[in-house]
Amino acid sequence: MRKFLLSLCILFVLSGVVYGAPVKLVVVGDAGHNLKPFEWYAQAIKEKFDVELEVIGVPFGELYEKEKVELIAGTGAFDIMIVFPKFLAEFAANGWLYPLDEFAAELDPKLDDVTPGYRDFYCKYGGKLYALPYDGDVLNLYYRKDLLENEEERKAFKEKYGYDLKVPETWEEYLDVAAFFTRKAGEKLAGEVLQRDFYGTAYYGQKDQIFAWWGNIFASLGGVYFDEETMEPAINSEAGVKALEIMKEIHKYCPPDVLAYGYEELKDVFLEGDCFMVIQWPCVGKKGADPAQSKIVGKIGVSHVPGVKKDGEIYYRAMMPCGRVLAVAAQSKDPKRAYQVIHYLSVVTSLDDVSTPETGLDPYRYSHFAHPEAYEMFANVEDAKIYLAGVQKNMEKGYPEMVLPGTVEYEETLGVAITKALSGEMDPKSALDEAAQAWREILERFGKEQQKALYQELVKGWRAAGLW
Amino acid sequence: MGGLRRRDFWVAFFFVLPVVAILLSISIFPMVYSFYLSLCKWDIGMGGQRVFIGAGNYLRLFSDARFFNSLKNTGRVLLFGVGTQFLLGLALALLLNRSFRGRSLVVTLFLLPMMISPVVVGCIWKIIYHYQYGPLNYLLNRLGFRSVNWLGSGNVSPYSIVLADIWEWTPFMVITLLAGLQAIPDDLYEAARVDGASRWQVFTGVVFPLLRPVVIIAILIRVMDAFKIFDLVVLLTMGGPGQASESVAFYNYLTGFKYFSMGYASAMSYFQLAVIVAIANVFLRSWRGREVA
Repeated sequence: MRKFLLSLCILFVLSGVVYGAPVKLVVVGDAGHNLKPFEWYAQAIKEKFDVELEVIGVPFGELYEKEKVELIAGTGAFDIMIVFPKFLAEFAANGWLYPLDEFAAELDPKLDDVTPGYRDFYCKYGGKLYALPYDGDVLNLYYRKDLLENEEERKAFKEKYGYDLKVPETWEEYLDVAAFFTRKAGEKLAGEVLQRDFYGTAYYGQKDQIFAWWGNIFASLGGVYFDEETMEPAINSEAGVKALEIMKEIHKYCPPDVLAYGYEELKDVFLEGDCFMVIQWPCVGKKGADPAQSKIVGKIGVSHVPGVKKDGEIYYRAMMPCGRVLAVAAQSKDPKRAYQVIHYLSVVTSLDDVSTPETGLDPYRYSHFAHPEAYEMFANVEDAKIYLAGVQKNMEKGYPEMVLPGTVEYEETLGVAITKALSGEMDPKSALDEAAQAWREILERFGKEQQKALYQELVKGWRAAGLW
Repeated sequence: MGGLRRRDFWVAFFFVLPVVAILLSISIFPMVYSFYLSLCKWDIGMGGQRVFIGAGNYLRLFSDARFFNSLKNTGRVLLFGVGTQFLLGLALALLLNRSFRGRSLVVTLFLLPMMISPVVVGCIWKIIYHYQYGPLNYLLNRLGFRSVNWLGSGNVSPYSIVLADIWEWTPFMVITLLAGLQAIPDDLYEAARVDGASRWQVFTGVVFPLLRPVVIIAILIRVMDAFKIFDLVVLLTMGGPGQASESVAFYNYLTGFKYFSMGYASAMSYFQLAVIVAIANVFLRSWRGREVA
């Protein structure tokens, strides 16, 4: 009897220990600086929500397949997922994500504070909320303002091109400025002899995101992804071919290995001081103001991406590739607590997370733009204001990334075609025709009618938000 | 007696059962199932239905230019990579097959690249190949040559992968061939020298024929391994620029785990298996043929 009672006591104590233990939630995301907030606030999250986080980082380019394999297999390996909006639709349509509307009704994610592009197209699918924003991404033009203001350079530019050296606003001006600043080692730049080659510009050359650098030009020329009525791919249209021809010209003023460039290489070539201007995500502006990461602190200007001149106005469109949202897996052990965690990061800590150079997270809430004083890496509030104004300018004219199921494949096949044209393997028209054919096949595979309905819905939303 | 046999049978059966069950579940079943998949069209992006299409996926391979490109790149690794590894490995093994002070240390140092994790090898070579700051281009410049676009040119990047593979795997050839050389009895060298054979004659008439089985096995292992080259492709170029340096294994991975076309990816895997089996057969036949002769 005594033994029985003792066993009961032990069982009771053990069950109490297990019952009282925090819930363990597994977080998956692209490894590196963007997972830092999960580490910074792990203790606070444990105290507030009784949740212990286990964070799994996977390479940036492999997030899609790593997440999808587990979701297809239904392993329940993840609770909280960093998702790129381009595969949110596919994950939501397959029922792999937990709809968040009921939680949002209880705990307000303050979506009115989120800019429309990120709120309506990157977090929702079929009218339901599936994710909360975590990182707002739009491409911006960064340039060396010290070189732009240099009198010697200004004089030489005017002599050569017949107009004043200024931040390029059209693609023609972009080409002129890029050509002007491309110099060999031994030549002079701003009065100093160059120790190594200096390049006019550079771009993201790897096949997974190169579409966006071509897309800035394509969109400014009025290009669209598909014909809305027929779902015929429109990437090989006149606008597409012209955009690729312009990109081929730009390629001449880039480092020779630019086709191997990903985010890091593109950031480094600019922040190491080897290049006059780049088009990049907003985080590069913050990192450029951090002496630990940049050799050109205080010398960076931010502006809108170039465009084309129409009726005396500059028509520009900045691509919004990537972006990150936080979703809860349908098979999460505790969806409600998972929501509390993502709410904490998307609402409570977000200003701190987007205003530090230690993450790659970028502003996505109006409140992030309203607090320039939070961006302490800039020398003064005025510089922070200039940075935020530049980003906002691009965001207002943002060109949304497709978020159809299959977008990963659409973008990569397009990327391969662009690369083939840039490396001289194919001419721009043939390369884009090849990509268009690949898009037709993907379209059939994912179901043309279903894709058409989704695309039309997307375009309707983009129009309503003033992005189309 | 019969009862005892029956009992022995059941004891043996239960002892073997776990191994058989494990083999069936993690080896035999996946093989059979993936072969069945290779005969189906199954795109699981949107939970697509599995449809039996017979040899459709295998026929698709023959019209897929991207697959042929990846095959060509893999062929480069086999021909130039494994070929160079063998020649360099043999030369180094012959050099090391003699006694000198510090020989063990030299052999250990030679083995280092093979001992390093492939991921680290990829990262090291990515730095070495950097166009602007890489030590390789620095050396070339110092010698009066122009910088080479190791990773950003479609014509060069497949060979950059081959070069890194040579650095990583030549030590394997060295150690295997050295073991083979050391197994050759000294008497045979002495007998050949007594008969007045020159060094070259000793090598071609004594050393190489006796080393031949080891050579065949070493090349076979490297060929099978190189056919599956994946890590260096991912770490150095991600198959780029564009598709310029994609290997068969890398394209297979993309097809299966990026595009989730499971049927086509399975067919590609079986095609690779067939090629590797065919190559292995050629090597093993040549070995057996020599043994019979």
